[in-house]
Amino acid sequence: MTKWYRENAPITAEQLADELMRLKRGSVTRRHFLGVTGLGLATAVLARQPGLFNSPAFAGDRGTQMSIATWPNNHDPATFEAFQAATGVAVEVNVFGSNEEMLAKLQAGGTGWDLFVPTNYTISTYVKLGLIDELDLSKLPNYDASTETARFTNEGVVDGKTYAVPKNWGTTGIALNSTKIKTPVTSWKDFFEVAMTEADGRAMVHDYQLTTIGNALVSLGYSFNSTKPDELAKAEELLIKVKPHLYAINSDYQPSMRATDAWMTMCWTNDGAQLNRDMPEIQFVLGKDGGEIWSDFYAIPKSAANKAAGYALLNYLMAPENAVKEHIANGAPTTDSRVMKLLPADVTGNKIVYPDEASLTPLEFGAAVTLTDPGRAELMARFKSA
Amino acid sequence: MPLIPLPRPSPRSYGEKGQAASSPLPIAPVGQGNRTGAASPLRPASGEKVAGRPDEGRKFEIDFNGFILMPAATNTKRNLVTAALVAPAAAWLMIFLVLPFIAMLVFAFGERAPEGGYQAAFTFAQFARLPTRAAAFWNTMVLAPVGALLCLLVAYPVAYYLAVKADPRYRLILVSLVVVPFWTSLLVRTYAWMYILGSRGIPNLLSMIGFEDVRLLNTPGAVLLGIVYGYLPLMIMPIYVSLEKLDRRLLEASADLGARPVSTFFGVTLPLSLPGVMTGVALVTILLLGEYLIPQLLGGGKVFFIGNALVDLFLQSRNWPFGSAIAVTLVAVVVVILMVAMRIAFRVAGTRQVDLV
Amino acid sequence: MRAFISSVYLFLYAPIALVVLFSFNAGRSASEFTGFSTAWYGKALGNTFLVSALQNSLMIAFTSATLAAVFGTMAALGMERLAPRNRAIFDALFAAAIVVPGVVIGIATLVALVAVFSFVNPALSAIWPGDQPPQLGLGYGSIIAAHGLFSMALVTMIVKARIASLGRDIVEASSDLYATPLTTFRLIVLPQILPSILAGFLLAFTFSFDDFIIAFFVAGSKTTLPIYVFASIRRGVTPEINAIATLVLVASLLLILTARILMREKKTKSGE
Repeated sequence: MTKWYRENAPITAEQLADELMRLKRGSVTRRHFLGVTGLGLATAVLARQPGLFNSPAFAGDRGTQMSIATWPNNHDPATFEAFQAATGVAVEVNVFGSNEEMLAKLQAGGTGWDLFVPTNYTISTYVKLGLIDELDLSKLPNYDASTETARFTNEGVVDGKTYAVPKNWGTTGIALNSTKIKTPVTSWKDFFEVAMTEADGRAMVHDYQLTTIGNALVSLGYSFNSTKPDELAKAEELLIKVKPHLYAINSDYQPSMRATDAWMTMCWTNDGAQLNRDMPEIQFVLGKDGGEIWSDFYAIPKSAANKAAGYALLNYLMAPENAVKEHIANGAPTTDSRVMKLLPADVTGNKIVYPDEASLTPLEFGAAVTLTDPGRAELMARFKSA
Repeated sequence: MPLIPLPRPSPRSYGEKGQAASSPLPIAPVGQGNRTGAASPLRPASGEKVAGRPDEGRKFEIDFNGFILMPAATNTKRNLVTAALVAPAAAWLMIFLVLPFIAMLVFAFGERAPEGGYQAAFTFAQFARLPTRAAAFWNTMVLAPVGALLCLLVAYPVAYYLAVKADPRYRLILVSLVVVPFWTSLLVRTYAWMYILGSRGIPNLLSMIGFEDVRLLNTPGAVLLGIVYGYLPLMIMPIYVSLEKLDRRLLEASADLGARPVSTFFGVTLPLSLPGVMTGVALVTILLLGEYLIPQLLGGGKVFFIGNALVDLFLQSRNWPFGSAIAVTLVAVVVVILMVAMRIAFRVAGTRQVDLV
Repeated sequence: MRAFISSVYLFLYAPIALVVLFSFNAGRSASEFTGFSTAWYGKALGNTFLVSALQNSLMIAFTSATLAAVFGTMAALGMERLAPRNRAIFDALFAAAIVVPGVVIGIATLVALVAVFSFVNPALSAIWPGDQPPQLGLGYGSIIAAHGLFSMALVTMIVKARIASLGRDIVEASSDLYATPLTTFRLIVLPQILPSILAGFLLAFTFSFDDFIIAFFVAGSKTTLPIYVFASIRRGVTPEINAIATLVLVASLLLILTARILMREKKTKSGE
């Protein structure tokens, strides 16, 4: 088998047979089947659709390596292994603790990422700064806008152009170890009080201005997204008062929670679900006084060196049967009704992952202004260096 | 990076000797040259040293100048060779030290762009905001010297043992063992400490003997421990070198004259090893002033050094001008500390040259 | 005294022992020992990103240390011939390159390069005839340059110190015997300063190989081993990292040992 052939072969014989069986069983759609097997290309060529001929999502010029920037504990490592097995492209995973950190890297230039995971409120800024490109949806046949939940996905579209497609949605709540903390914690007000008392030296906040400042604001009765100087000043006062009592300021709190070095933390849905699954004593609660509701997206940086691989992985992740594995492992709620249908009942019935609509009401989506507001950025930096 | 040598003043006539045969040239008398050299705050020793024995290099040169008369052409050729020798280093220093420093200085007077980064301006606002990082400066200024002194307390006995007490047969291997940890990444070793100090490590052992829920990780104590651990070899080596050079006969003489071991130590050994001590302390302190990793990994993002504040400003809050202003200030602080340290070192060590290599 | 010394050695080696121990862990975690296995060595060597990070680090360390050794030695020799005022400037610059904290070097290099690129890249695009104009960016070059700066200063200091302590009579004798300066350098000076050049090279290599903070700022999209390890600490360390660290440790120990044996043989031969 020549190198040329191997690199250009979209799929092996075994995989083809496998996919064919799945199509027959009806577990995958015809569209997926055509996409994954590369028969879509053949169909397209036969149908004389120009433009698709060199489409990197199907052709073999995507190299052997790519890099993705994402959040801690955000993917099933098996997903990337399967992607490598299917395409020959190895995926390097870079982990970041805040959108600001990703933005800073992109602004400084030369990240090497071919795909990254920004949160809803950052996308308009990335577009404005020219850091991401409009997605070529023809390279993403597995993505179907009509099956997405608009509430979570509309921020991926700017001026009618799709710049990012949704990964999953989620909330920012409180995870606490119930064997260590007996005081009931149901709000961010409780969180900060318990952090200074029963959980003294054992509570964690994110290294992330949006949630750390936002939840402090919420606990004081202000908006999660406030940029008003007097309200921020109050939040800063609270955070600096709490700081000596904290265990750490870190967005990767899973290792500390698992080791019971930390007993309580600000926590994203997916981490909450993972922690609770492995350690039932760790509970996940939403602040009844407010907090964040969010959706994460996939976008391709303008500076990406291997866009073909970026599109290939994105298309792979958009296929419902791949996405469903990701969602089960990662524990975040899906935005895609196709995936929802495939999810087992114990996931869809999990109140951490799919909470009651009523508990979501007080939550707010992050606002674009918080990403670039110098007041919040500097507050966070002062808090950390205090 | 073990062994950070500071510029060591050398008898300045040497190099000419190598070229002497074909291209002798009148050279400024030694004493003068070194006084000019003192323009650099980092080589104040030059004057004193040469002043101590002024004739050594000079005699040679005068002999030499008297010996050969050189044609003008050779002189030009010699200068060309000299220029060629220093040109790559000069270019490197200009492009990657001087130019970046100027850029940083320019940035420090700029403004943060609306979305973060840098925007041209001329304002002192960044310097005016320096007090907002007072805590980071304070942490660094306290924990760096404290860390260096703790290092010294641990390192001195080890260096003393290695140089004076250790069996000569095993000395080399014991000294090598001090340096070997440098060959494993500091990051990986620090990560190991995260495990040891985390609740599966020492606190787990403590809970077996009844001390529940002891917290070690993410405390200033953990950061200090990491500092002592990471920089210990850098402290041991210079002290060991200065003790090893120590003339044993002095110790014998002291004992023969009836001094107790303790007074021998404080009267003879310690003063003679002071240059090594000074080198070690200055070295470790300076490196600690820019430390980032140890506070980051063992301090849980809570114990902030200036290095952490800088990384945060560039890689999180994206305020390049303010970051530049802090970096410029840090450099100024380092220079001041160095000058004070050198002054103290020379006072303590008299006119003796402090050997920093 | 002896107990204290032993405990210091224990302190130095306990974390290293732990690193080595967990490299043989059967489980996925670098913090919970679940059984003996050498599987992670295979996985580490099969991990393209880890291996390429290691290769990058070796390449960068070797290149920057070599350039530093050559240019640093040249500078040390050349500085001896400079006018005192110029020499003082060099001394001050080299000293600055050594004492300015790494984090500042990283930041300053980043700031300067980004500023330079923002001028040069549009210019390149404007004058380039083809479709794909070459664009400057952060990468191997910037890491090598920033590491080389410190390393070169290091080599210069060490070689200068050695030159200062050299006896000059033999150089003089050589010239008296009508050796050309080049011959004198090759036969007399170089052999005497070679050990210090090698020492400088080794220190420079070690420095570059272990540096995190400078590379963190100027690496662009390139990954060095310390950057890879730092990223792994964030995404969860697997014993792969321990395996690579152990391999590097063993390799360097072998290197030290070989050097020792070679030196001993040389010494016995020369009858010292």
